[in-house]
Amino acid sequence: MRKIPRRTVLGWGLGVAAGRALGQAAKVEPVFKPEKDASLRLLRWSGFVKSDEELWNANTKKFTEATGVPVSVEYITWEDVRPKAALAANLGTGPDIIMGWYDDPHIYPQKLVDVSDVAEGLGKQLGGWYDVARTYGYSNRMRHWIAVPVGGTVECLTYRTSWTKEAGFDEFPRSPADLLKLARALKAKGHPVGFALGHAVGDGNNWTHWVLWTFGGKAVEKDSKTIAIAQKPSLEAIAYVQELYAQMVPGVGSWLDPNNNRAFLAGEISLTNNGISIYYAAKKDFPQIAEDINHSPFPIGPVGRATELANFSQAFIFKHSRFPNAAKEYIRFMLSPDQAGPWVDAMNGYVTPALKQYQDLPVWTKDPKATPFRDGIARMQHNGYAGEPGQQAAAALAEFIVLDMFADATVNGMSAKDAAARAENRLRRIYRG
Amino acid sequence: MRRLLSIWLPLLAFALFLLFPFYWMVLTSIKPNEELVSVTANPFWVAHPTLDHIKYLLSSTSYPRWFWNTMAVASAATALSISVSFSAAVALARLRFRGSEGVSLGIYLAYLIPPAILFIPLAEVMLKLGWFDRLWALVPVYSTFLVPFCTWLLVGYLKSIPRELEEAAMVDGASRVRIILEIILPLSAPGLISAFIFCFTLSWNEYLYALVFMSSPAHKTVPVGLATELVRGDIYQWGPLMAGALFGSLPVAVLYFFFVEHYVAGMSGALKG
Amino acid sequence: MRGLSLDRGPLLPTLLLVPSAVLLGGLLAFPLVLGVLLGFKDATIGEAGNFIGLDNYRYLLTDPVLRITALNTALYTLVTVVFKLALGLALALILNQRFAGYRFWRSVLLLPYVVPTVLSAFAWWWILDPQFSFISWGLIRLGILDQHVNFLGSAWLARASLMVANVWRGIPFFTVGYLAGLQSIPKELHEAAAIDGASGWRTFWEITWLLLLPLTTILTIFSAIFTFTDFQLIWTITRGGPANATHLFVTLAYQRAIPGGALGEGAAIAGFTLPFLALLAWAALDALRRQA
Repeated sequence: MRKIPRRTVLGWGLGVAAGRALGQAAKVEPVFKPEKDASLRLLRWSGFVKSDEELWNANTKKFTEATGVPVSVEYITWEDVRPKAALAANLGTGPDIIMGWYDDPHIYPQKLVDVSDVAEGLGKQLGGWYDVARTYGYSNRMRHWIAVPVGGTVECLTYRTSWTKEAGFDEFPRSPADLLKLARALKAKGHPVGFALGHAVGDGNNWTHWVLWTFGGKAVEKDSKTIAIAQKPSLEAIAYVQELYAQMVPGVGSWLDPNNNRAFLAGEISLTNNGISIYYAAKKDFPQIAEDINHSPFPIGPVGRATELANFSQAFIFKHSRFPNAAKEYIRFMLSPDQAGPWVDAMNGYVTPALKQYQDLPVWTKDPKATPFRDGIARMQHNGYAGEPGQQAAAALAEFIVLDMFADATVNGMSAKDAAARAENRLRRIYRG
Repeated sequence: MRRLLSIWLPLLAFALFLLFPFYWMVLTSIKPNEELVSVTANPFWVAHPTLDHIKYLLSSTSYPRWFWNTMAVASAATALSISVSFSAAVALARLRFRGSEGVSLGIYLAYLIPPAILFIPLAEVMLKLGWFDRLWALVPVYSTFLVPFCTWLLVGYLKSIPRELEEAAMVDGASRVRIILEIILPLSAPGLISAFIFCFTLSWNEYLYALVFMSSPAHKTVPVGLATELVRGDIYQWGPLMAGALFGSLPVAVLYFFFVEHYVAGMSGALKG
Repeated sequence: MRGLSLDRGPLLPTLLLVPSAVLLGGLLAFPLVLGVLLGFKDATIGEAGNFIGLDNYRYLLTDPVLRITALNTALYTLVTVVFKLALGLALALILNQRFAGYRFWRSVLLLPYVVPTVLSAFAWWWILDPQFSFISWGLIRLGILDQHVNFLGSAWLARASLMVANVWRGIPFFTVGYLAGLQSIPKELHEAAAIDGASGWRTFWEITWLLLLPLTTILTIFSAIFTFTDFQLIWTITRGGPANATHLFVTLAYQRAIPGGALGEGAAIAGFTLPFLALLAWAALDALRRQA
C-alpha cells in the first residue's frame, strides 16, 4: 500500500477551497497531471434518471475546460456494460475508464491501473470509505486498489403508509417476523406485497441476498472455498420466504426489474423493495401515491445487524489506456464535492455515494422520505459475502444462484433442502480450485 | 362462398393473431403515461391520445441517425450477401464438381458457435483488421450469418427450377456463363427477392454485434439505440420505445409491398418462353 | 488455353465459390475455431485459461440445469418449427391467390418478422405481464377467468407462452419462403390437374407439396437452426427464468460466459449444439440427394 504524502492531500483541500474562495468555477490545480494531448473515453451505465446524465455531462465539460482533456462518454444500459467491458478486457483496447458493477474489476485485476493514490486521497479528503466500498475497490490479490468506488443504487422497502396503517402497523416492522405479520395483514386487506422472484438482476438479487444473510446464512465462507449455502440458517431463510411468498401477489416468479415498479404504481401491491425510482416516478406522474409512499431499511433478523445488498458501481482504468494520469484526474475530479455534490443532488439521491462525507448532502434531508437511502451503503455487504470479491462471486451473482434457490423453493415447489442442495451443487462448481 | 372459406375467414384469423401485438404497439405509442400504468383503464383504447412520445423519439434521441445507420448497413450487407450467395448457390446447385458436398456440409458449421459467444473471438479478428467501431465493418460481419443461409435458400430454389431450359440452351451452344446470366438469374428472381427480404430483415434485426462492436453513439443501430437509451435501469419508456419499433419496421414492410408484383412479373415472363 | 475453360471443369465453380470462401473463411473460420477451442479451456473473461480437455463437458453432463436446458431447447425447437411450417405454408397458400387488397395483406402480415426481435420481445413481455396483460384483462372482462394469468411465472406456462411468441414471429419466415416457391410452380400443372378432376387436397399433396419439398427441407432446417440458437426473445422476456425453466443453450451459455465470466464453460455449452447441427446436416444432405 503506497502512502500518499500529506502535502498532496492538504493540497487538494486547499486547492478546492482557494478555487471556491476566488469564486472560480473550476480552475483547480489537477492533482494528477494529465498527459500531453490526452483524451479519454468513458463507458458508463445510462443514468436511471435523465438528470444523472445531464449533470454528469456538465461536470465532464467542466473537467475539459479545466484541464483541456476532451472526454467522450458512452452511455449504455447497465446490463450491457458487462459484455463491452469484457470485450475491452479481453482485447486490450476500448474505453479508458469503465464504470462497472460489483466484482467486475476483480475478474481482471491484472489488467487494471493501480488507483490507490486516487482512492486513498479521496478517502482522506471526504471522510473515508464505507467498509464495503473498500472491499469492492481494494484487491487483496494485487495488494492495491484496482477501482475507485462510486456508490450504489440503494434499495429500501417502499410501502404505502395508509395501507400499512390500515393493516394495524403504525410503525414499520423492524424484524422479519414482524414483516411477515404485516404481509399477512396486508393480504387480508386486499393489498398484497410483492418481491421479484424472476431473474430480476437488481431487485431480485438484492432482497434475496438480504433475507439469506439476515438469518445468518451465506453462500461461501471467508476462505472463499467452503460452500455454506446448505447449512441451517439458509434453510430457515428459505422457510421464511416460503411463508412470505404465500402472502405475495401472484406472478412474482416472472418479475424482472421493472415489474414491481409498475405494479406498485398501479396500486396492485402495497410493499416491495426498490431504489428511489418508484417514489420519483410517483412524484412526477401520480402525486397522490407519492404522498402515501414511505421508505424503510430492510428489517434485521437473527444475525443482529444490517445485511443489505445494493447495486454497487465503481470506476476502473484499463492498463491499455494511453492516458492513465488523465483518467485518474478525471475520476478524482468527478467524485470531488464540487462535482459529485450537484450530481447526487440532481438525481435526487438515486445513487448513494461511497464516501462518508456525502452523507451531509442536502438531498438526504430536503425530502425526509429520501433519508433511509442515505445510509444504504453503510448497511451493505458485498455480494460475495463472506468470501472475496472476484470471478467466482461474480459468476454466482450472474447465475442467480441465491435467487434461484428461493425461487425453486417457492415458484417451483421444491423443498428447502432440495433447493439448497441444488444451489450448493452449482456453487461447488463455481468455487472449485 | 368458396372464397369466403378459402380466403377471407382464414385470412382474418391470421390477421388477428399476427397483428394484435401491433395494435397494442400503436396504442402504446400514442397513450400518455398515466394510462399506460393504470390497471383498470381499458387497454384496448386510448382516452387521450398524445404525440408526445413520437416527438420525444424524434427530437430527444438520435433516432434519425440510428435509422440511417441501420438502413445503410442492412442495404450493404444484403447486397454483399446476395451476390456472394448467388454465386455459391449456382456452383453448388447446377455445376457438378468434386467436393461440393463437403462445402455444403461446411456451411452448417457457420452456425456452430452462436453470436452470443462468437462475438469474443470474432472481436479479436475485428481488432486485428482495425475494424473496431467502424460502422461499415458490420457489413462483412453480418454477411457471416447471412451468406450460409442465403446460399442454401438459393440452392433450394435453383433445384426447383426445371432444367429443360438450360439443357435446350446448351444444345443451342450457349456458354455456361451466358446460361447463368440469361436463364438462371432471371428465373431465380423470386428466390433472390426472398433472400433479399431475409437478409434485410436479419440485418435490421441484429442486436449483439452492433451493441458490442460499435462504441460511438453516432454508430448505433435502431435496435441498439432504442434498447439502450430508452431503457434506464428499471424504467422503460414504453411510448417512445414502441413508436421507434414501429417506424423501424416500415422500411422492410414497404420494400416488400413493392416487390410483391415482381414475383408475378418474373414468373410470367419466364413461362412465356 | 484448353485447360482453363469456363464451360468445362472446375474453373467456373471455383471462381463462383471464391467470394464466399474468402468471406467465411477469413472472417468466420478463425473465430469459430477459437470459439470451439474455448470450450476446452477454463478461460474466464479476465484470463486466457489453460487447456483442460473435456472437463467442461464432463461437468456439464452432470449439471441438472443443463439437462433442463437441453430438454427445453429440443422441445421448443420441435414444437415451434412444426407450427411455423404448417401455419406459414397455410398463410402462403392463402396469400398466393388474387383477391382485393392482396398486396396490402402480403406486406402487413409479415410485420412480426420485420420488427427487430428485441423490440417485439419487449412488446410480448408486456402482453404476457402478470399484472398488465390485456389478454388477462379481456378474459376477466368476458367472465372467463377471475384472476390474471401468470403467463411467465410458472415453468410450463412460461415455456408455452414463449413458444407462442416464437411462432408468432416465425410464421412469416416460412410464408415469405413459400410464396416465392409457389410462384415458381407453373400454373399449367394445377390447371391440368383440375381438368383431370383432382380435388383440392389431392392437388396439394401430389403436386404442390412435392414440388415444394426441396424448399421445405431448406426452410425447415434453417428455421430449426435459428430456433435452436434463439437468444434475444428468451433473454428479453424471462432471462431464462423462472429458475432456469426457459433457458435455451445460447441463453445459458451467454449467462455463464459474460455476466458470469466463465468463457470456457459458456463456449462448451454452445458446443452442445454440434450433435444437433450434425444431425441436421446429415438429414439435409440425405433429403437433397434423394431429390436430385
